Amino acid sequence: MRRLGLRRLGQYVLVFGVAVTLNFLLPRIMPGNPLALIAGVDVGLMTPDERAELIEQVGLNRPLIVQYFEYWKSILTGDFGFSYRSSRPISEIIAERLPWTLLITGAALVVSAVVGIIVGAFSAWRRGKKSDLTLLTGMISLESLPSFWLGMLLISIFSVQLGWLPSFGAVTPASDLTGWAQVGDVVEHAVLPTVTLTVLSIPGVYLTMRYAMLEVLGEDFIRTARAKGASERRVLFGHVARNAMAPVVTFLAIRFAFSFGGAVIIETVFSYPGLGRLIFEAVSGRDYPVMQAAFLVITIAVLVANLFADIIYPILDPRSQEE
Amino acid sequence: MSTRRSRLWVLAVAFALVIGACSGTGSEGTTVPDTSGGTETTDSPSPDTTAPPAEPVTVRAAITGDEDTINPYTYISGFPGWNLLMMQYDSIMQIDSDGIPQPWLADSVTANADLTEWVLEIKEGVAWHDGEALTADDVKFSYDYFIEWATGRFSRDLRGVESITVDGNTVTIGLGAPNPAFDQVALADVPIIPQHVWQDIENPGDIAFEIATNVGSGPFKLVDYTPDQSYRFEANSDYFLGASPVDELVVVVFADDAGANAAIRSGEVDVIFERISPEQIELLDAQDPLDISQGPEFTTQMVNFDVTKAPFDDVAVRQAMDLAIDGQDLVDTVFLGAATVGSPGWVHPGKTVYNPDVTPVFDPDAANALLDEAGYADTDGDGIREFADGPMSFELIVNSSDSLRLRLAELVAEMLGNVGIEATVASVETATWEEAVWPGFDINNGRNYDLAMWGWSAPVQANTIRIAQLVHGDPGVGFLNLTGFDNEEINTLSAQLQVEADSAVAADIIGDIQALMAENLPFIMLAYPDGAYVYNSDVYADWEFIAGQGIVNKLSLLPASARP
Repeated sequence: MRRLGLRRLGQYVLVFGVAVTLNFLLPRIMPGNPLALIAGVDVGLMTPDERAELIEQVGLNRPLIVQYFEYWKSILTGDFGFSYRSSRPISEIIAERLPWTLLITGAALVVSAVVGIIVGAFSAWRRGKKSDLTLLTGMISLESLPSFWLGMLLISIFSVQLGWLPSFGAVTPASDLTGWAQVGDVVEHAVLPTVTLTVLSIPGVYLTMRYAMLEVLGEDFIRTARAKGASERRVLFGHVARNAMAPVVTFLAIRFAFSFGGAVIIETVFSYPGLGRLIFEAVSGRDYPVMQAAFLVITIAVLVANLFADIIYPILDPRSQEE
Repeated sequence: MSTRRSRLWVLAVAFALVIGACSGTGSEGTTVPDTSGGTETTDSPSPDTTAPPAEPVTVRAAITGDEDTINPYTYISGFPGWNLLMMQYDSIMQIDSDGIPQPWLADSVTANADLTEWVLEIKEGVAWHDGEALTADDVKFSYDYFIEWATGRFSRDLRGVESITVDGNTVTIGLGAPNPAFDQVALADVPIIPQHVWQDIENPGDIAFEIATNVGSGPFKLVDYTPDQSYRFEANSDYFLGASPVDELVVVVFADDAGANAAIRSGEVDVIFERISPEQIELLDAQDPLDISQGPEFTTQMVNFDVTKAPFDDVAVRQAMDLAIDGQDLVDTVFLGAATVGSPGWVHPGKTVYNPDVTPVFDPDAANALLDEAGYADTDGDGIREFADGPMSFELIVNSSDSLRLRLAELVAEMLGNVGIEATVASVETATWEEAVWPGFDINNGRNYDLAMWGWSAPVQANTIRIAQLVHGDPGVGFLNLTGFDNEEINTLSAQLQVEADSAVAADIIGDIQALMAENLPFIMLAYPDGAYVYNSDVYADWEFIAGQGIVNKLSLLPASARP
């Protein structure tokens, strides 16, 4: 058991090392050049000497291997240096962006989990019936909606036509709200992006839950439960749903991890100041240090979520421990 | 400004409320947002019925992309970053609505006959935002500072400055060589910064500035900045030309133009910095109270080819391609008429130095004849001509982020197909496209494309006398010469133009260069798109259109009496 634990740990360290290396290499393998970002629009009007000086200043002329070790150093010290774009410390930028991202992705995850699990369980219970088929078709159609389209549709209805909700940002610009008024302002701004994300996340949870339920429904112990005279309700919640939760929890844990990466498209449509928009801007400008740091956040979140799922799985489904 | 802890508290409560709102369990829904800002004047009953005090005017302007703390070392883009910078700072001269530099912080600007010595009489009685007086010493300090600590743009503007002397209110600038564009390029571009604020700041390029450093003399002061979200500027009530009729300028950072368009339609912003796309013009104009300000501008849309390699090294091929492209069709189809057809001589027909003998010609029959005559025949009958290295089939690369340019590329490819040249449109992400056309932003690195859609920003066209940068065969002079073009006659004329002090002679030279370019085609000009800008006329309507600077510029926000 302990040896297994150590092996697991070794695996995680290995995966982390590979992920970090990819985080470092991918930005540099992409064609394109961060110079335009560093020098601004006037990059073309600089003399070759000025350009060379600039490249040296940001350390891009150093050998790749040196830059790679610098990245490891920054991971170990937590100091990620400065963004090419705004010359602000990257850790500060990420600390600013992350709470906004987690607000909308977290809220969307909770709501979509609750709705997806309940509707998924219901659908599986009514397997093959009209209500199940209607739900299934509906969810699959929902999943195929392009996110930017749904976001723009909601803006068009609720902001432009009805004027009920703000169409952009996380707060009203240059307003000096405090206390509950500030909370209300933040909530108003979060509603449309969260609804968009929620609507798009429900089908995934629903499908996972429904499928897991169907698997469990066919198991022997369900027949036993029914045979011993347990009520339908008790069979559904006490036996089927409980055993179907394991894959759903894993699914949600990974979803949660990826929510640290933000919702690139949604945050762009709603001009929401989250991590997703930061990553998008960093990638378009080839802002290597920001890309590296933001990817690292996602890497760590995914690994932690995996670890969490690894720990929780045997508790939800003791059978998985035997192997 | 809220502290970190209170912000977390707000977020935590907000999280709970968002979940509540989303699960929709009987909650009343959220309240209507206050999208009116401070601009509504109707719903604030004043107790004084005889003379209601004027409500402060707030204008909320949309930009796409953050501009950092907007001082001379931190602002990011040439447009709108530089425009926002110049709301806070002034320069010695100011471009008027016709694009002509007028004395601004100076009572007069004079140059000697060969344009190597410029004398500025600095205005008296101008104050910095902190109340200190702006002096001739500040002017010398600013130019010296930008020369010592490179900024990119302002240091480049001042290249060639050899001496700056101050005598009372008079600043004399000596140049190493004649520079007929010094007023436009440097005096009307470089902001004057206060010596008492900047004298102790070293290595400004490495510093993350606080907005407190932004002490200027301009009509607005930056008082609040939330990164990636918004800026708040307050009017400088002591501005030397009179306070702005706009009391507060809020600048909102959007992720893309679609977001800004939605926000102006919903009344959440009052004006958009960037121009709107042609298909939005009618839609937005039809909505009350939105209005459109529209006019010709100097950005360009063009096709680049690698002139150093076959078959584009053959001028007949370039001429045939030019003849095959119907510029009017591009303007009508892609820009819905809101553009000027590209002149093969590069210079916009609206400019005074335009050579009227140089006009776009569309003649596919002549193009085919030209190619036949030059020996590019379609021997295997597949509709594509062949040259020495194989079929005339090329990739036309274009950046995917510009939908208008993509549409142009599709039409250009079709038009080239009509004369037996196959162009396959390859849409790639912006940085990839730039790296192919202009590797490392240094033309000494060569070029990695056959055909590419391209376009220059307005300043390249605005300074016609700088045409050598674009076409000169020596990379040191023609550092924007992306196609590898090299023509002895154009080299000589364009180099001569850079130092020609006599404006009549210069105009003749520009005319000759246009004719030569139309004949030799360093690139194919397609169009100069119009600028169209949308604003909410209920909030503020006194916008001034400056070609290349849009409507949200310094002049627009000054009292009418202060505009040159």
